Amino acid sequence: MAVMEEEQSDIERKQSLYNSMDEEFKIQKEMYRGQQYSQIYFARLHLMRTLLYSLVPTWKPHLPVCTVLGLEGDKECVIVGTLYKHMKLKPCVLDEYSKERSVTPLVQPHNFVHSDDYLILEDESGRVKLSGTTLSPSFYVTGIVVALHGKETGAGDFLVEDVLEAGLPPQLDPPNKLGEDKYVVFVSGLNLGSSSSNPLQVQLLVDHITGHLGDEKEQNNAAQIVQVVIAGDSVEIPRELLNGQNLAPKDQSRLSEPIKEVDILLTQIAASIPLDIMPGPNDPSNFAMPQQPLHRCLFPSSASYNTFKSCTNPHSFELDGVRFLGTSGQNIHDFEKYSEGSEEVEFLERTLKWRHIAPTAPNTLGCYPFTDRDPFFVESCPHVYFAGNQNKFGTRLITGSDGQVVRLISIPRFSKTGTAVMLNMRNLECHALSFGTEFSL
Amino acid sequence: MSSKSDVKGFYRQKKKSGGITKPVAGKSAKASPSLAKHAATFGSNVVQPPALVTHGGALDLKDNYDGSEEVLRQFDMNMAYGPCIGMSRVARWERASKLGLNPPGDVGMLLKSGKVGGESLWDGRV
Repeated sequence: MAVMEEEQSDIERKQSLYNSMDEEFKIQKEMYRGQQYSQIYFARLHLMRTLLYSLVPTWKPHLPVCTVLGLEGDKECVIVGTLYKHMKLKPCVLDEYSKERSVTPLVQPHNFVHSDDYLILEDESGRVKLSGTTLSPSFYVTGIVVALHGKETGAGDFLVEDVLEAGLPPQLDPPNKLGEDKYVVFVSGLNLGSSSSNPLQVQLLVDHITGHLGDEKEQNNAAQIVQVVIAGDSVEIPRELLNGQNLAPKDQSRLSEPIKEVDILLTQIAASIPLDIMPGPNDPSNFAMPQQPLHRCLFPSSASYNTFKSCTNPHSFELDGVRFLGTSGQNIHDFEKYSEGSEEVEFLERTLKWRHIAPTAPNTLGCYPFTDRDPFFVESCPHVYFAGNQNKFGTRLITGSDGQVVRLISIPRFSKTGTAVMLNMRNLECHALSFGTEFSL
Repeated sequence: MSSKSDVKGFYRQKKKSGGITKPVAGKSAKASPSLAKHAATFGSNVVQPPALVTHGGALDLKDNYDGSEEVLRQFDMNMAYGPCIGMSRVARWERASKLGLNPPGDVGMLLKSGKVGGESLWDGRV
C-alpha cells in the first residue's frame, strides 16, 4: 500500500531585533524634594529656546532677538517663550470661591474652546499678551515654546506677524530597506472586565496573531508579525468597588478578575510572539505621566516568558532600526479638550512638529515634577508615532524639511471598534485589522 | 520649659574635688559647657553665659554664614539658572551647566569642595 506522505512544512515566525529606549521615562531614580512645576517649565524653555535660537538666524536673519522684558515699543524683533492660553471656559478651582456667582457660559460637550481665548507669551523675565490674526488661539495649547516675530503695540500687546515652530527633529537613520515584509500589530483599549468588551472578539484577535486561525495563506500572513504592542487600557476595573469602603471577599475577587483575564490572554500571545504592554489611564499604574510599567506580579504566568515586556507610557523602542514612539492617548485626549482639530492624527502631527509629546503637561495633564529635564521633549524623530485609545483609526504619513518621514497612527479602542492596526515596517504602510462577531443574515 | 531641678537631675553633677570615678568626672566636665550653652533657655543661675557673648560683644545671630555662603546665596537668587526651591545647589549647578547656561566656575568649585551648605537658601523655610 502506498502511503501518501504529506509534507508538513513548519511556518516560521520572523524575528526582529528589539531595543528598548524607555530609560528616560522611568522615575525610579528620581526623588521628590519639594520641588514645584516651575522646574520642568524652566528645563523645557531652555531646551527649546536653545534650539529655536539656532533656527532664528535662518528664518529672520536681520531681526534682533530679545527677551519679553527687553521689548521696546514699535521695534520689530523676535521673542521666544512658552505659550499660555487663557481660556474662559477652563474649569478653575477658584471659581468655587468667587463671590460673584455670574452665569457661566455653556460649555461645549467635547472641549473648552471659546472664541474669547487669547494667548500669552511668557519667559523668565515676563509675559506679554499676543494679538493679531496670525496666531489662531484654537490651534495652540499652553506649554508650547515658539519663536514669534512682531512688535509691541501701544496698548502693551505684542502684535504677531510670523511664528516659528521647532519643526520635526532630525531623524537618525532612514528605515532600513528590508527585503521582506515584517508587521507590527498595535492594539489598545481592550477594556477587559467592562461590559463593552467582547471576549470572542478578543480571542479572535489573539488566535489570528498567534497563527491558530485561518488557512495556510492566513497563517503565512500571521507569521510575518514580529511584535505586538498593547497601548494601554487593557483592563477596566469595576469603579463602584473603589469607593473607599472595605471590600468583602467576594468583591475582592471581582476586582482582580479583569487582570487575570488579561494575564491569560497575554500568556497566549507571549508564548509565540514578543509583546509590549503599556499602561493606560484606567490601568493599575500611577496617574501622573510618565506612567510606570505595570508590575510583573500582576501577570504571574505571562511575565515568566522573556517575550513579555512591561513598558512605560510613553513608550519608545526600536525594531530593526525603525524607531517607534507612542503613548496610550492621554496626551491627545487632553489636547483635544483645549484646542480644535479635525481628527486625532492632526493632533499627533502638531505635537511632533512642536517637538513635545505632551505640551499640556503639567498644566492640565498630570505629570511628575522633573527638575533637570523634560522627558517629553522629542530629541530624535521617530519613524512611527502612535497614540492609543482613540475614537477611530486614522493614519497619515508626514514628511519633514530634512527628509524625515513619519507614519502617524491613531489606534482605536478595541472594545468599541474591534479594530487593531497592522504596520508594515518595510514601507511604513498601515492598515486596519478588524474582527466582527455579529452576523447579519 | 523644664525647671532647674529636672536639668540638674539629668546632668548629674559631681564635685570636682575627689572625683570618685573618672568617667563621671568627665561627664560632669562635659555637662557644664553644654549646660552653659543652653543657659538662656533652661534658666540657670549663670548671668552672662560665655557662649552667647562672642565676636567682641556682638550677638552671635548668624550661623555658619560667611563670604562663600554669600556667593552661594547670590547663585541661588540668580534668575538665569531657574528656580532654586526643591533642588540641592549641586543639582542646580549641574542642570545649569547641562543646559549650557555657563554657571560660574567658582561656585562649582565651592560646591564640589563640600565645605559649604548643600541646600538652597529657602530649604526648610518655604
